[in-house]
Amino acid sequence: MITLLKYEIYRRWKWLVLRYAALIIIGAILLNRASFPAYQYEFIGESIGKFALTSLVIFIIIIVEGINVLKEDLFEECGYLTFTIPKKGRTILASKLVLLLLQLSFWAIISIGFGSIFFSKLPYHEIVQIKTQINFYFFPTVLFLLTAFFNFVLMIHFSLTLTKTLLVNKKYSGLLSIGIFFFLVYLIEKVYYGPFLNQIKHISIEIGSRSNIDLLSGGYTAVFLNVILIAIFFTATSYLLENKINI
Amino acid sequence: MEQILKATQLSKYFYQKKALDKVDINIEKGKIYGVLGPNGGGKSTFLKIAAGLLKPSQGEITIDNKNPGVYTKSIVSYLPETNYLYKWMKVKDALNFFKDLYADFDTERARESLKFMELEEEEKVTSLSKGMMGRLKLTLALSRKAKLYLLDEPLNGIDPISREKIITSILDSYNEKTSILICSHLIYYIEKLLDYVFFLSEGRIILAGDAEDLRNKRGMSIDKLFQEVF
Amino acid sequence: MKFNNNIPIYLQIIESIKQDIVVGKLKTGQKMPSVRELAGILKVNPNTIQRVYQELDREKITFTKRGMGTYVTEEEKTIRSLKKEISQKIILNFVEGMNKLGFSNKELINALKEYL
Repeated sequence: MITLLKYEIYRRWKWLVLRYAALIIIGAILLNRASFPAYQYEFIGESIGKFALTSLVIFIIIIVEGINVLKEDLFEECGYLTFTIPKKGRTILASKLVLLLLQLSFWAIISIGFGSIFFSKLPYHEIVQIKTQINFYFFPTVLFLLTAFFNFVLMIHFSLTLTKTLLVNKKYSGLLSIGIFFFLVYLIEKVYYGPFLNQIKHISIEIGSRSNIDLLSGGYTAVFLNVILIAIFFTATSYLLENKINI
Repeated sequence: MEQILKATQLSKYFYQKKALDKVDINIEKGKIYGVLGPNGGGKSTFLKIAAGLLKPSQGEITIDNKNPGVYTKSIVSYLPETNYLYKWMKVKDALNFFKDLYADFDTERARESLKFMELEEEEKVTSLSKGMMGRLKLTLALSRKAKLYLLDEPLNGIDPISREKIITSILDSYNEKTSILICSHLIYYIEKLLDYVFFLSEGRIILAGDAEDLRNKRGMSIDKLFQEVF
Repeated sequence: MKFNNNIPIYLQIIESIKQDIVVGKLKTGQKMPSVRELAGILKVNPNTIQRVYQELDREKITFTKRGMGTYVTEEEKTIRSLKKEISQKIILNFVEGMNKLGFSNKELINALKEYL
């Protein structure tokens, strides 16, 4: 798996360096502007906005790339190379997901790092206001979002892989993949998160009573549910990649 | 003679089309086989199933007595017709990739072969001509010390000089412990290499036999025989 | 060597080697190329060459020393009878060819005398 990961990184190392360097440099520049004493307030707001936008763009690039790394192996000629090397399906998939994980982690660290520095520059009363709102939710929420997007990519991988086991032509595979994906989303909303959403509503009622443990467990429960979904889709996709796909 | 590949009643259906229809093929060690037939006749499909890229619809296929999977991929060297190398690669990247992922890859031999094929390691894969790409693919496939080589149309679109080099390379790879399966519809150039031939059309084996026997019995070259049969 | 793909290849190679021996291109006792070498030179399947050597061994035109290679026979007698065999074939072809053109046997002898 490490060998495959090595190649996944090697083939795009310039782009990787570029995107994180850009994020860091832009963050640094914006931070610098926000540090000017005069007109500080406007600059901070603007800078936070611009940084958030940059961060979002990089995030989207990471997610789209995370989807494409499998998509091109399934639907393009290079699939003949990827699927004749003597590696198990899960190894091939894992190498791509580890890259995604590393990127999401790196992106999160940089974004949150800069984000917290930006916030520390805000006028005091603003900081206090925001802090009380996000404090209890922060870490589990971040984890929830990261696992949710990781799972999102994985679900798309599964949809694409399932499409490739059912159809060999490229013609309708786009439609089928999208169809499968949305069906899965619907299924998960209805069956999986349904009961959980109820629990969330239950928790938000209790915010006033400061039951911290409940809030934390609510957040982490969501993360845990995501992790289970990740495990399910990883196993299913690996199985299909190894035993069922027709390239 | 030991068998390296055994296909029994192997069938592959795509929607309503029968790409392979109850095909029985046995490949022995130490021989060079030709799977010949018109385009769309099932040759590529057979090779892809043996390589583990397609799954059989019916029937069985075993390589070294195992079903296609991770183990068989490690002992089978498959040369597809398409440009299957990653577009970001240079020749040296392809070499390193094969070295890293195939335990049986002979890097020394590959480098010698690259010299023989007149390929530069720094060249980008996307800038290679069709002939150069054909030579590169063959170099990579034949530099593996595999038990079974599956070559799908190795001579298609290849210029005469490259063609001679490719044929020489194939002969160099031969030894009594390996088997080579060549798929082609350009029979004239490869027929002298073949021990045994299968004629495949519309997914069925129409004719099979020892190449010299067929020449003797039919009084014509395999190429002419092919033209007659199809 | 130019091959006619309509006839078994191994037969053509055997003929060619026999000719080379009779003509002196291949000397008595000379070591033949290995199976692989010859296959590479002629661009044919090595099993075909194997068959060639087996056949030549059988006809005692060559002999194979285990692990050492295949050698042309040193028996002058064998080579002489080989020469005769090949010359007979040429004569046969000549006579048949001339007969086909309408020459009777007497006439073809005269034609030959004229030529020589």
